[in-house]
Amino acid sequence: MRGVRATVDRLDRPSAYFNNSRHKRRRFDKDQRDGDDDTAGMHPEQREDDDPLKNATTLYVGNLSFFTTEEQVYELFSKCGEIKRLVMGLDRFNKTPCGFCFVEYYTHQDALDCMKYIGGTKLDERIIRTDLDPGFEEGRQYGRGKSGGQVRDEYREDYDEGRGGLGRAIARDREGRDFVDDGRLR
Amino acid sequence: MADYDRRGGGGRGGGGGYNRKRRYRDDNEDDNHYRGNNSRRRYDAPPHVRIRKQLIAIAENPMVERHDEISQIANLFTENWDDDVLLRGNFTDLVLQLCVEQPLKTPFLAGVLMVVNTNKPEAVDLLLEKVARLIEDKLREGEWRDVKLYLKLVGCLQGVLEGEGVFGVLGELFERAVGLQTASSEDTIGTEIVKIILLTLPYVMAAGSPEQQQQWQQNAAELLENTAIIASEPHPLQAVIEPYHPEVGEENPSQSQSLISLLQAQLQVEATQGWALSCLPRPWQFPVSEVETVAKLASAKKHVLPAIVIPKTVVTGPRPLFPEVYISVYGQQEVESVPPPTSLASSLIRDALLDTINVLHFNRNATARQLIEVDCYFAPRTFALRGTPFDRLRDIEKPKSTWKPEDVAVDAVFTQLFLLPNPEHKLVYYHSVLTEACKLAPAAIAPSLGRAIRYLYRNAPRMDLELAYRFMDWFSHHLSNFGFTWKWTEWVDDVELSGLHPRKAFIVGSIDKEIRLSFAQRIKNTLPEPYQKLIGPDKEKDVPDFKFANDDTPFAAEGREIAALLKRKAPDEEIDAVIQRIQSQAIDRDLDALVASTDVFVTCVLYVGSKSLSHVLAAIERTKDRLADAGAASDASRTQIIEAVMAYWSVHPGVALSIVEKLLNYSILTPLTVINWALNVQAGKTRGQALAYAHIYELVFNTVIKVTGRVRQLVVKASQPDEMVDDETRDNEVKNMRELFQAIEDSLGAWATGTKDEMLEKGEEGSDELVKRWGTRWLRVFKRRQAIEEAFLIEAVRERERKEEVRKEWEVVEQQRAEEKAKREAAEKEKNGTNGEEAKKKENGEDGGEGDVE
Repeated sequence: MRGVRATVDRLDRPSAYFNNSRHKRRRFDKDQRDGDDDTAGMHPEQREDDDPLKNATTLYVGNLSFFTTEEQVYELFSKCGEIKRLVMGLDRFNKTPCGFCFVEYYTHQDALDCMKYIGGTKLDERIIRTDLDPGFEEGRQYGRGKSGGQVRDEYREDYDEGRGGLGRAIARDREGRDFVDDGRLR
Repeated sequence: MADYDRRGGGGRGGGGGYNRKRRYRDDNEDDNHYRGNNSRRRYDAPPHVRIRKQLIAIAENPMVERHDEISQIANLFTENWDDDVLLRGNFTDLVLQLCVEQPLKTPFLAGVLMVVNTNKPEAVDLLLEKVARLIEDKLREGEWRDVKLYLKLVGCLQGVLEGEGVFGVLGELFERAVGLQTASSEDTIGTEIVKIILLTLPYVMAAGSPEQQQQWQQNAAELLENTAIIASEPHPLQAVIEPYHPEVGEENPSQSQSLISLLQAQLQVEATQGWALSCLPRPWQFPVSEVETVAKLASAKKHVLPAIVIPKTVVTGPRPLFPEVYISVYGQQEVESVPPPTSLASSLIRDALLDTINVLHFNRNATARQLIEVDCYFAPRTFALRGTPFDRLRDIEKPKSTWKPEDVAVDAVFTQLFLLPNPEHKLVYYHSVLTEACKLAPAAIAPSLGRAIRYLYRNAPRMDLELAYRFMDWFSHHLSNFGFTWKWTEWVDDVELSGLHPRKAFIVGSIDKEIRLSFAQRIKNTLPEPYQKLIGPDKEKDVPDFKFANDDTPFAAEGREIAALLKRKAPDEEIDAVIQRIQSQAIDRDLDALVASTDVFVTCVLYVGSKSLSHVLAAIERTKDRLADAGAASDASRTQIIEAVMAYWSVHPGVALSIVEKLLNYSILTPLTVINWALNVQAGKTRGQALAYAHIYELVFNTVIKVTGRVRQLVVKASQPDEMVDDETRDNEVKNMRELFQAIEDSLGAWATGTKDEMLEKGEEGSDELVKRWGTRWLRVFKRRQAIEEAFLIEAVRERERKEEVRKEWEVVEQQRAEEKAKREAAEKEKNGTNGEEAKKKENGEDGGEGDVE
């Protein structure tokens, strides 16, 4: 572990999404005191051993356009190292790209570098996001939304040409509901 | 921040804990702290949190007076010195961490320490002890940059050091450098040490009062006299890393100057001018109005710099060391927008920026911010106003500075992007820094980048080929982040140049790279009319044509048949039968049977997998045995595999290159096949024209990197006892690598001298000279790669030995220290009798004060 906290944030850390979903269960078990939210982040050394991301070579890549091709992903992501495997996220029903993918490198360092240098930059003129991922498993390439795509595209109210226009369904019960980014860990 | 002042030090509840003292709103309070009615009660963060926050952000805010900020942090610290024991260690640790993580801030940290020294000098003792140990550690590890950055802090503290202070360490370091240089003319560690000495010296000279400086001038002069020989000696490797080469018939523009010889010359000038060092900030110099502080600073306690053991043997460390040369993309301008290479400021500012860039690789946004705010970290008036347009610089009257902070920042990033043999991080990191800088301050940065691009484009023909490729790769990637907008119209005349012209090659290569990151129609829309013809109609097709669909192609029927069989995943026997047929027909037609069947089969695999890379990879996976057999059957057959790939995907070379990479992984292709195809087959067929294609260079370069990367991995592994790599495997790979380099050299040598068979007949007017020029440029790149790999093999062994030496030496030092300590303790105990315990406490730096928890 890197030990001392750096004087500026590191970009090669897993996102809050990952940490939250991992610790949600733990947190619900406890009585919820106000301001207790950040207990998950307080004892990094205790969780070091079982950290599933400590040697992660895979990245979840989100906010792609539906039209972005594998070749484009290869072109950009190869700048951080040779790609071992690329799995495009697909619509569960019609098997067309639905705006995310998994990129697997040969080394952990390449994956970290990708977080630092490519996450948050543009591909196909969209800002893409990257997140460390414990590894692709069969089934995770499919969208988990009702209509087959990613859940975020169900509830989206804005018009996004690269992601099929308007959200596919606007859920009535959006309040109090967690957004789930499909293909990712629950 | 202002409200911290009023609080003073008193009235603090229980030592060290979170101070939850409630604060109520009072009338002169800043309203921003509260948001309307539903405002939360605001708690003051505990002192250690506030100090951390303020220290980390030091010097960032240009609206705050530096000396105010410095005394405020220093006072906050010393006021809590007694209450919060943990804070003492944390504070000094944080200062030291900042020195190596945000090195632009070091002088300001030194300023804080000097004010702290007026009140709690023991804090400075604590820090000096820590920094001395850290420098020792980093020296042993060969972490030269960290050594330099810690020395910079100590250098800034020279004013509060007793006697000659840092000069002692610098002198001893110099002796080490002399030893290394006399032992070998190829030594790079000694040069690195001299560089560190020379870069520390200015901070030392800027640290003291005028009287002190007077006193040190003699030391500085002696040091400079000594370093002159080492600094002026050109390193044998310098020719290899030269970034520009004169064109044919062009007069040799003065060779790039080595960084270290420039630095030596700059310092000598500075010495003759009484060490004005006008660009360095001196935050410890308080305005005369602050009488009290000024007096305190002048009479503050002086400290002895703890002994620093410099190992007799030194290691290269984790990063290979190479000589460095000065480059700038803003040279030759009518108005000086960056410090000229004759000025010490150019070295000092760049050095601090480069450290910042390379240290902060884990947060490119922070890097970009510090770059844009570079003017905060140097003396006021070092730069022109931020965002001053270049055209306005000429209106600035002397002696005001015309140095554009944006240009200085961008220039620093480019030196890394164009650093040979390799910069510290992946090239894409430097791309991302420029992208972020451009996002943060588009109006200020974008024009600077534009001028850099024009300079580089003009000089592309003179550039080392590896750098020209890096330029193209960055340029296309950068445009992809900014809507692919560029003023292409200004290069419109060059579209008509021959494909062999380096600038035309740059245009063609960049457009291809843009398309790879996007798609043909999109890029076409960004280009003026004259460029349109560079993107042929085939580029816009998603899937290339299948040549066997046309009956005029030989083996068309068989090709279609195999494709159909592959599609329905037919058993091998059925495919075998068709292949047999092709081979016998080929023999009838007097063709190489293996080549013919390989071409048909591979083309069919590509066609079946044409939908996407996943498809083609799956198709290759299914047919890998047959492909491997085809590759193993004959050299010609193996060459035909790559020929088929490159032909099928000729309009989208990016896809072809990815496929070749996978075929290399499967060992269906060998590196030698790739090199032979590129440099002999393809280059031959095009009479050398292929040497101007960026994707051919990329293909060869990637293949070489793959081979050398594997060798390096094996060499590193072989040196670890528990790894199962036998010497034979390693030696074999090394042998293969050398053969590969030999083959490259033979082929490129022939192109460079014009003795390649294809060149014997006279070609188009002037094209021969251009082809030879390409050959020379290629040759230089791969000879350098070879030299670096050979050096790596030698160095790997030597470095291991050196590390062992260092380890042994250090064991002795540690033992001596333990003995000395024991002796001292025994003596103390005897002297103090029953008070021994207390003495021990004191020695540990914890003076048993009231807030002390032990």
